[in-house]
Amino acid sequence: MGMDEITGWLLDMYEDGERGLALWLIAEDGRRLCLHQAFPLRFYAAGPAPRLREAWQWLSALSNPPALARESRQDLFQPQSLPVLSVEARHPAEQRALFFKMERAFPDLVYYDADVQVQIRHAALYGSFSLAHCRVSVDDQLNVKAFQTLDSPWDIDPEQPSLNVLEINLMGDSPQHGQPAHFELRCRSWKKVYDLVAGSAPAYWLKAALCKFDPDIVITDFGDTWLLENLLACVKDPAVELPLSRDPARTIHTIREKTYFSYGQVVYRGQQVHLFGRVHIDRKNAMMWGDYGLEGILENARVTALPIQTAARVSPGSGISCMQMITALRGGILVPWHKQQVEQPRPLIDMIHADFGGLVYQPTVGLHRDVAAIDFVSLYPAVMVRCNISPEKTALSLSDPLPEDPGLVPRTLAPLLRKRVLLKQRIPDLPAWDPRRKWYKARAAAHKWLLVVCFGYLGYKNARFGLIGSHEAVTAGGREALLRAKETAEDAGFDVLHMFVDALWIQRKDCTQPQHFQAVQDEITRRTGLPIALDGLYRWVVFLPSRVDGRVPVGNRYFGVFQDGTVKVRGLDARRHDTAPWVAETQTALIEYLAGAPDADRLPEYVPGAVALLRQALHRLSIGLVPLEDLLTAQRLSRVPEKYSSLSPSARAALQLREAGKEPSPGQRVRLLYVYGKPGVWAWDRLEPVDAKRIDLGMYRKLMLRAAADIFQPFGISLQALTLMVDDHVIQAPLSPLWGIKKPWNAPELLRPQPVERVLQVNLSTQMAFTG
Amino acid sequence: MGRTLPSITQSLSEEQAAFNRFRRALRRSDQLVLDELFVAARQHLAAAAYSANLLPMETFLLAMLLEEHKETMHLRAQMENLQSRVDGDG
Repeated sequence: MGMDEITGWLLDMYEDGERGLALWLIAEDGRRLCLHQAFPLRFYAAGPAPRLREAWQWLSALSNPPALARESRQDLFQPQSLPVLSVEARHPAEQRALFFKMERAFPDLVYYDADVQVQIRHAALYGSFSLAHCRVSVDDQLNVKAFQTLDSPWDIDPEQPSLNVLEINLMGDSPQHGQPAHFELRCRSWKKVYDLVAGSAPAYWLKAALCKFDPDIVITDFGDTWLLENLLACVKDPAVELPLSRDPARTIHTIREKTYFSYGQVVYRGQQVHLFGRVHIDRKNAMMWGDYGLEGILENARVTALPIQTAARVSPGSGISCMQMITALRGGILVPWHKQQVEQPRPLIDMIHADFGGLVYQPTVGLHRDVAAIDFVSLYPAVMVRCNISPEKTALSLSDPLPEDPGLVPRTLAPLLRKRVLLKQRIPDLPAWDPRRKWYKARAAAHKWLLVVCFGYLGYKNARFGLIGSHEAVTAGGREALLRAKETAEDAGFDVLHMFVDALWIQRKDCTQPQHFQAVQDEITRRTGLPIALDGLYRWVVFLPSRVDGRVPVGNRYFGVFQDGTVKVRGLDARRHDTAPWVAETQTALIEYLAGAPDADRLPEYVPGAVALLRQALHRLSIGLVPLEDLLTAQRLSRVPEKYSSLSPSARAALQLREAGKEPSPGQRVRLLYVYGKPGVWAWDRLEPVDAKRIDLGMYRKLMLRAAADIFQPFGISLQALTLMVDDHVIQAPLSPLWGIKKPWNAPELLRPQPVERVLQVNLSTQMAFTG
Repeated sequence: MGRTLPSITQSLSEEQAAFNRFRRALRRSDQLVLDELFVAARQHLAAAAYSANLLPMETFLLAMLLEEHKETMHLRAQMENLQSRVDGDG
């Protein structure tokens, strides 16, 4: 039998019945090959010796018994190694069937390595991952005899294959709102628009493109939830007439939609359509498409070793979990099937001392100039690595020497953290035209989400390697680091205006350039052992008070302008998902207009212009120039309408959709317009179009003014005053005398709200007296 | 993830609610002053959370006192400033 050696990149991997695994390789010579690899797997059972003996006998009596052995293995949560029964199946499908059968017969045993995905097993054994560069020896039946991975997921500039990407772009309406009229197929410079007619024609057009370009990746709009299944339904024999998968023996794999509760929110995940030998990504159903696009998804798949189609759709938590499993499997640590550890009862005083989160300060409300925002680079993961926080270890403090024997969690995180820091360091040195800039940014964004969730995962009740004590140790480390940073900044003469979990906003009279803040950052890193970086230097920044009580500062409502003119907004309407685009865009436009002021001193000169801008926007609304799409708000449905005690706008809209036969699931966003008359809302996706005359202009005006009032708040202009100003009742003249006072270093004092309001009121009453 | 303990903001609201009967019996003008005291306590929620005191009201009272003393110091400085100006003029 001849042997052949192929070098290429691993595109896809899945279970392939008795043959073990199917591996799709993009060979260096451009061929796309489906290889087969035998993949015997083991899982383990632990328990009392007599029960294990019974299990052994039971397994031996099966018609085609697996290979059995007694072994001693390590459970992460137990100090001593554990005697276990090892069961070796010939291929993944057999392993799964055996495990389920055995678990039914012996539910009292503790199982390990029983439900680990094959891609994770392969990664642990061969160091493989999606798009890994590898060398494979195969026989003439393309059966893999040897597999070697040539690069590592931690390489900064890995050699990449040239991927064929076919896009299927829906044009016009979304399928939820109406029937899309056209679709565009696009591959590199080729593109063509087709009518989305009834019948099998669109499927054949797509088939022609699939045959012509043989894409590795298919990117669609609504491919998961609507398009692909609809196209397949139009043909009689999908395998022949629309071969979406490369593997001729398979069509598609569908995973049903689901609704679940996570981080205090009801989340809806649409149905998924996976292909075999080809990768399908639905832009509208991919987890983070908007944040990091295809590059980020590919990077996520690289570092987590998940298949690309899965990496595109699962939460970052699952990614971290897979990375931990790989570390465990490589280190010979058992991966529990179900988490065994439950939280132990403990005294209340312990909870009071340990069970709370990051520090969120109350900022000094008002407008401040030349403020540096500095933040710890991935604070929680960095604390986990620095303090060796892992369920099986005793956490160190920030003052202890570096850990010598890192635990499972720090071992998993350290390379990811190192890669992210390296990428982030390289980005500023790249010229603006360099394509790597965008690539690095997308990849760093993908790492960010993995690192963000790795901490939460320690406290997640189902995380296999989670422990609530470790979770608490991380927040404690984070609080200590932030307080050390505060003390360092104050020792260096800085005012600390605000602190938020991992970030500080600091200000000192003589510090107006980025380099002026370098020394304090270095000192913070020295005192904490954690890297801290300058997020940016604000020309000016406004910390807003609570909307409910103007005297109460709140942690995360601010906007400001960096020295390079970029705007940063947090906690305002413009950042909320349920704000109508017109309101969000106008609010952003107001901030951007103010950002035109060369420095904080000149800001008042820009207030009249901003009022004019707002007035113009409201005028466009009143004469019907704002497109209806820009007035849509997308509100999340948190439960089925029957479960609301008083119906929210989204629930009322959901009821309308139910009548139209399009009832949304909890967790889905419902797009609606506010209209006059009952029930006050109009679900955008119902069948009949809305009458533009019914739009509740008063409601939108109110929402806009409320959003704008946040921007005018630092100038001492209240919502009431603003409402009068846009209606031309009073002009902004009173502001200037206030700003005439020259007090260079305490902007908030200059902007003390009360006097302005008083002046305004005086002016108003005078004006009213005249007009009245 | 659920909470095992009320957040510090919840604690303050609960403590404030516990004084509702006291507040109700106060004169309107005094009610507003009492509300101001609780606003003062809100300025130091982060520090109160960090102190993790078994009896959070103790910390809130101290936060009120802190704000009061800050105000006193501020007024004292202003007084001295004005006094020196008056003396200078004299």
